Amino acid sequence: MATKIIDEYAEMMKAYEQSGGNVGEFSNPNVPSIVISGNKVLGKNEVKGLIIEPTPTKDGVDVKITVKKGTKILYPMALCFGVLPKEGVQVINMEAYIEDEAGMNAVSHCVFPNAEHIVHKMNYKVHLGNHSFFRYKEIHFHGDKGGVEVVPYTEGEVGENSYFESTFTLKEGRVGKLDIKYDVDVKKGGKLELYSKVWAKGNDEVNIEEKGNLKGEEAKALIKSRVVLQDNSHSKVLSVVNAYAPYSRGHVDCMEVVQDDSVAEAVPVVGVSNSLAKVTHEAAIGSLDSKEIETLEARGLTEEEAIKAVVSGLLK
Amino acid sequence: MEEILKVTDLYLKKGNKEIIKNFNITVERGSISVVLGVNGAGKSSLAYVLMGLSGYKPDNGKIFFKGIDITDKTVTERAKLGMTLAWQTPASFEGLTVRDYIQIGMKNKSIALVKEALEKVALDPILYLNRTVDKSLSGGERKRIELAAVYAMHPELVILDEPDSGIDILSLEKIKKLIVDFKETGSTVLLITHRDEVAEIADTAFLMCSGEIIKQGSPAEISNFFKDECNHCDHKGAPEKIIQENVK
Ligand SMILES: Nc1ncnc2c1ncn2[C@@H]1O[C@H](COP(=O)(O)OP(=O)(O)OP(=O)(O)O)[C@@H](O)[C@H]1O
Ligand SMILES: [Mg+2]
Repeated sequence: MATKIIDEYAEMMKAYEQSGGNVGEFSNPNVPSIVISGNKVLGKNEVKGLIIEPTPTKDGVDVKITVKKGTKILYPMALCFGVLPKEGVQVINMEAYIEDEAGMNAVSHCVFPNAEHIVHKMNYKVHLGNHSFFRYKEIHFHGDKGGVEVVPYTEGEVGENSYFESTFTLKEGRVGKLDIKYDVDVKKGGKLELYSKVWAKGNDEVNIEEKGNLKGEEAKALIKSRVVLQDNSHSKVLSVVNAYAPYSRGHVDCMEVVQDDSVAEAVPVVGVSNSLAKVTHEAAIGSLDSKEIETLEARGLTEEEAIKAVVSGLLK
Repeated sequence: MEEILKVTDLYLKKGNKEIIKNFNITVERGSISVVLGVNGAGKSSLAYVLMGLSGYKPDNGKIFFKGIDITDKTVTERAKLGMTLAWQTPASFEGLTVRDYIQIGMKNKSIALVKEALEKVALDPILYLNRTVDKSLSGGERKRIELAAVYAMHPELVILDEPDSGIDILSLEKIKKLIVDFKETGSTVLLITHRDEVAEIADTAFLMCSGEIIKQGSPAEISNFFKDECNHCDHKGAPEKIIQENVK
């Protein structure tokens, strides 16, 4: 049993590394971390002012993370979630409480290296107090078979003068099915930034629904999505910013690049219910810019290399 | 002297308009040759045909680079043979740093050479290396980075499409110096411009009017003619008159 756990840990670490993570983080006592494989917690490291409370469930793990009032966590927390077998379901319910004047950065790698049929659900509830910050990055690695269904839903509230940034990245390997949802309220002087970067291939399906609600004066939101599609993949991006309060500002910037037989749809919805608020949006769907490609070809890159360079830039 | 570029009997039509016609030039290796022409003369179209961009395949004529017929070669093949182009209005690239952008074309990716190239165009490497080549750069900054990128490539032939446009007067001297540096480091330059004051650094000059080369000579001679005749020309699209006057 013990060796099995050690093997599982080693395999998770291998997948973590494959997805661009630095495994050294999990042995550094200063770096807060958690490793969850299926419904098992394989490792956990707390630091001063940060409490991590995992509870295994039938299909996954419920995790409560609290950053205590006035604490700024020095090193970004490292999270590793995944399912190693070909098939399975993993449900992670994560609640993050960033108390007043507290802050943390976190990078999460979700790895399904052998996926043939895996469902991965993440339900996040993010609560930021006042004058606090939380920068969250989630990087996915799904292998090359496209057998993953990933459903990350985030609900949150950003307190006064607080900052919440969330970035979702999936650019290596296949996507499978992806269904992202955000619904975040922003209070007075708070700031929300949501970034989604996805490269869809094969028959991948991408659905992104991002919603920012500017409820306090001078609240701000930026929703930026970049989806690159090839083969016969599909994507739909719905970005919503509702501005309810005076001097609140929002911007939606959505770009989808279609290649081959892929299909993309973008729906920016901006709502302003206060005459002193302002929300802008830009949405573009199109093929890769031929001038960009030809510029790189004129530097000696082949067409494939040029496309790769342009796409990597868009998804950076 | 070796002919590095030879263009014979080139025609390019867009719609039913002949944008380049009856076009013949020869560029000697190691020289700076300038193509001078007013707005709309067809200078950028010429640059695109030479570089082989899509939509710019000539309707007639041949292009030889180092004696090789490149008329049907791709952009990449031409670049790999040793030629490149600096665009009049360069493209923006989201997420690509200045450093990556310049290094893309370099055989040895030496960071020292990247810095040297930026200094050549009067941009401080400390401030610019990690900037992104996107819309946050001003037009003039983007132009200079384009020039730095082609300089760092050390191409055998570089086509510079209006390297002076969007560049302020102070920096103009630096850009002229850079063009001379291209030559001194072994590149041949085909310089395209509509400003006669830039032409003076060239060894040979061509005057382009309505898609044709109507006159060839020393930079001084062509510049003077351009100043006197072309800047206030009222017969755009009808170079025949000028040609006849030349013959007289
Ligand atoms: N795709 C096209 N279809 C129709 N006409 C075109 C096309 N591209 C260029 N032209 C025309 O061809 C002529 C030459 O254009 P070109 O851009 O080559 O001129 P230029 O000499 O580079 O001008 P400038 O000094 O303004 O850069 C112009 O009259 C232009 O309007
Ligand atoms: Mg032009």
